[in-house]
Amino acid sequence: MRRLERDTERPPPIVIEIDGEHIDAYPGESLATAILASGRRTLRRTEGGSPRGPFCNMGVCFDCVVTVDGVGALRSCMMAVRPGMKVVTGGVRGAR
Amino acid sequence: MERADVAIVGAGPGGVAAALILAEHGVDAVLLDEQARPGGQIYRQPPMTFEVVAHRLDKTRAIGKEILRAASEKKLRSRLETTVWGLFPLGVEGVSTVGSPGAMTLTPAAAGESAAAMAVALSGEGGVDLLRARRVLLAPGAFDLPVAFPEWTLPGVMAAGGIQAFVKSQRFLPGNRFCFVGAHPLQIVIADQLLNEGAEIAGVFFAQTRPSFFDAMKELPNVWTSWEKLGQFFAAWRRLDRAGVPVSFGKIIIGAEGHGEVERAVVASVDDAWDVIPGTEKTVPCDTIGLNYGFVASTELGRQAGCRQRWSPSEGGWILEHDEWMRSTEPYIYLAGEITGVAGADVAISEGRLAAIGLLRDLGRVGAGRASQLAAPIRRKLRRERRFARALQEFAAPRFDALAGLMSDKTVLCRCEEISCGQVRQALRENPHLGTANAVKLFTRAGMGPCQGRFCALSVAALIAAQSGNDFSDIGSFTARPPTKPLPLADLARYWDETTGGERS
Repeated sequence: MRRLERDTERPPPIVIEIDGEHIDAYPGESLATAILASGRRTLRRTEGGSPRGPFCNMGVCFDCVVTVDGVGALRSCMMAVRPGMKVVTGGVRGAR
Repeated sequence: MERADVAIVGAGPGGVAAALILAEHGVDAVLLDEQARPGGQIYRQPPMTFEVVAHRLDKTRAIGKEILRAASEKKLRSRLETTVWGLFPLGVEGVSTVGSPGAMTLTPAAAGESAAAMAVALSGEGGVDLLRARRVLLAPGAFDLPVAFPEWTLPGVMAAGGIQAFVKSQRFLPGNRFCFVGAHPLQIVIADQLLNEGAEIAGVFFAQTRPSFFDAMKELPNVWTSWEKLGQFFAAWRRLDRAGVPVSFGKIIIGAEGHGEVERAVVASVDDAWDVIPGTEKTVPCDTIGLNYGFVASTELGRQAGCRQRWSPSEGGWILEHDEWMRSTEPYIYLAGEITGVAGADVAISEGRLAAIGLLRDLGRVGAGRASQLAAPIRRKLRRERRFARALQEFAAPRFDALAGLMSDKTVLCRCEEISCGQVRQALRENPHLGTANAVKLFTRAGMGPCQGRFCALSVAALIAAQSGNDFSDIGSFTARPPTKPLPLADLARYWDETTGGERS
């Protein structure tokens, strides 16, 4: 899992917080991309405890939902990163 | 409350093509889309903040560039990053009701708004909103067909289209070593794009056996578009071959394996009917599996509004019926693109144009004679495009019966509610009267989660078909109800308070 550099110019990075860790992300990037790029593949867990990551990456499956600034069940694939946003992954149905 | 002559749901090729024609004729149309930029999935653009040089392999972008440039030059009115979650006919008094008539009054009547025929319910960063429109054009596109097999819920199993979207629009590789499994020629093209970006490709596996694949290919009509697309397909295949990537036929995914994420794909040989030949299992080390067994049309908004649907497995499952001006069976609702049958961007563009001319005609902006004149060249083009699309659909048609056979009793079928295939099979065994998708949903909760059944509807239907022998068209789809995508109740409450002054009835 890595960002592609070729043919691509990104703006200067911003910092977001994922599970308490400060992570660089690029303005315009989707939150799902920033989370995967940080090395995490599990974005939420089910009530039964099984891990889930992005599946459709187009807002249909709701398997990439996370908590952002205290609001749960948000689709990380449909959301752009914002400086300072606090993200919690691994919650049941994306909530904690 | 915002108003428009035409609300266009979906800013993909079909929606944008329609918007351009409507703008030319001075019709006030607004494009609505969940994504931040127009283009849909096929022409999905990188964020505005990125500068990306379109790659020579990305032919779709070259075709889409024209339409996207026109869209940005014309400054089409749009509301992006906005979810449409319901369509409500406005009664004579201008009162809209949610769901079945009289179920719940959402917005009070306002004087002088009788011209608007539909209220389009929106949800986004700013909360819930209603848009009043005289007509609605639905061009919401399609999504990758979900296929359930053992451990398909592991992180790393993805829709091939989702993988491609990460690469195209995010410039991000969501894995290191990819395995593609499916029945659609697109997976060759995606694998080639990934290879070109430096990814490892563990293999590309087609369910069709080699003879059936090439026999079917011979049936593709001899038109220019098919040569261009075949050329792309074979060029991509040649590059994969040169890089030593195995491309196999008559192979299907039967499982994913790994601790907490994908470490291996398990594939097996199949016969012409895609039924697994026991003892042929093979393990393929990889960290990401891309599924490409077909596409499902996004029909929920049309179904919620009462548009008549039709079962057409090769065209994306349930699709919506339309007439020669792309009008649905419901007044004021028009259709374009995958919602009428998954047929790709060319057909979507032509259908969008045709719908726009139908709208101009019905809104009285052009006369019937002029409309027929404008439509004639588009209809000719569309006939050719549909011929190719139909051949490709037949060629890549998913076999729902065989795909449903991949599930073991432990396989999670409804990813949201964690309902297993075994639970549904047991419910069907113990309750032989459960003959419809809706009945199984009520009985098992499959389809009641946040994705609202989009990911399990066809698997549930296939299990019912296997158990009862019923036809898919009798089994039916899950009923689509507003909100067709989840939205915060607090947003609805706030909308109510703002529009009524907080009055509760």
